[in-house]
Amino acid sequence: MTEMAITESRVLDALRSVMDPDLHRDIVSLNFIRNMRIEGETVSFDVNLTTPACPVKERLREQSRQAVLSGVPGVRDVRVNMTAEVRRPQAPETSRIRGVKNIVAVGSGKGGVGKSTVAANIAVSLARSGAKVGLLDADIYGPSIPIMMRSSGEPEIKDQVIQPVEAHGVKLMSMGYLSGEMPLIWRGPMAHKALQQSLLGVNWGELDYLVVDLPPGTGDVHLTLVQTVPVTGAVIVSTPQDVGLQISMKTLRMFQQTKVPILGILENMSYYICPHCGARDEIFGHGGVAHAAESLGVPLLGEIPLDSAIRKHSDTGTPVVLAEPDSSSARAFGEITGKLAQQISIQAFRSIPLTIIEE
Amino acid sequence: MPPVPEQGATPAERATPAEIRKKGGEGIVIRWLDGHASTFGARYLRGRCPCAQCVSETTGIRLVSEEHIPPGVAIEAARTVGNYALHFSFTDGHTTGIYSFEYLRRVCPCEVCA
Repeated sequence: MTEMAITESRVLDALRSVMDPDLHRDIVSLNFIRNMRIEGETVSFDVNLTTPACPVKERLREQSRQAVLSGVPGVRDVRVNMTAEVRRPQAPETSRIRGVKNIVAVGSGKGGVGKSTVAANIAVSLARSGAKVGLLDADIYGPSIPIMMRSSGEPEIKDQVIQPVEAHGVKLMSMGYLSGEMPLIWRGPMAHKALQQSLLGVNWGELDYLVVDLPPGTGDVHLTLVQTVPVTGAVIVSTPQDVGLQISMKTLRMFQQTKVPILGILENMSYYICPHCGARDEIFGHGGVAHAAESLGVPLLGEIPLDSAIRKHSDTGTPVVLAEPDSSSARAFGEITGKLAQQISIQAFRSIPLTIIEE
Repeated sequence: MPPVPEQGATPAERATPAEIRKKGGEGIVIRWLDGHASTFGARYLRGRCPCAQCVSETTGIRLVSEEHIPPGVAIEAARTVGNYALHFSFTDGHTTGIYSFEYLRRVCPCEVCA
């Protein structure tokens, strides 16, 4: 019996059975397979995913390996190298920040729900996965990101361009830097100008994700953001408490009205684990956000416990995902970041190029 | 005859453009995700400007409408606003309107929609 030769097209045919669970297409037609090499009975290739923070990375690796081993006769060994390249949504070159692939807004209905803590932990988690990440603190009412990321000093200005500060592998800019120690007492037009400068006047370089920590509620800063740049999507941070949740819906609707896709909603201060006895107490009630997400058809990104470690590490400037990476809170943030990265990839694939064709 | 809107399109799809073409200064044509196409003349758009100078902020009553606009008005420039709207500069000097796609779909002048 003559054995069929191992060819690239046979390997690709076998890999067509492997589906990306989020994009609902096979990894060959998604153009994920790169650098294929066939040496004797060994096949090696890269699977180039849409985010390094992909939560199903290991599953896809194993599925790819099995698909080739069982689908291509004669193959004895399959070496799968997982790589990632964050795709950008299609948007006109003129209106976006050069080099920045995705802009992710983090909003909330009211203050005090832990929005900045969530933004900082998500940004650091994305950076830890290998992505290039920026974090813009646009909360003019209480710019707290510099404290949470323990970045001292102010950004330098070179050739009229602000050079972002770097902390924990993340490029940082805070609108708080624009006024030093003084509070930001701004009317609408000033906030508008300051945000535009913080978005467009900063040397962000190449970024996969720019996370924007918005002020609570809805207002001038939100409108300026959605009018100045094409926002890939928004994350809503809420607490399980009904009041917080109802107000969060207003923020969610603002994004919907301005055609910013909702990437998901997450429940912070979801429950409390007693450090002495380990009992779980649902201080603000539980399940409210999950229920709202379901009825709105919006992904629930996850639930973060009310944990003194999160607060402590925020206050001392090392987000919990770095300070205690194995803690349950850090793992909750890790899961949320993975789901968020998936949603961003889905949006990047779904987006329609919004350009005006001049005739 | 304008294309018949596809059955079962969601409101979001109806108000999401698939293609935007600017016909010189004369107007724009938007083809929507549900397949419908809307042709807007410059004067029609200028007369439906949603800005606070053209529509009273307190009463919602339209202050400037198509009959106040000279017939020769043209679109000098058009650009997208974030993901959700278009901005026009008209040759009469008016530049303050932000036309959301949702609004544009609502004021589609074709026979079927009007």
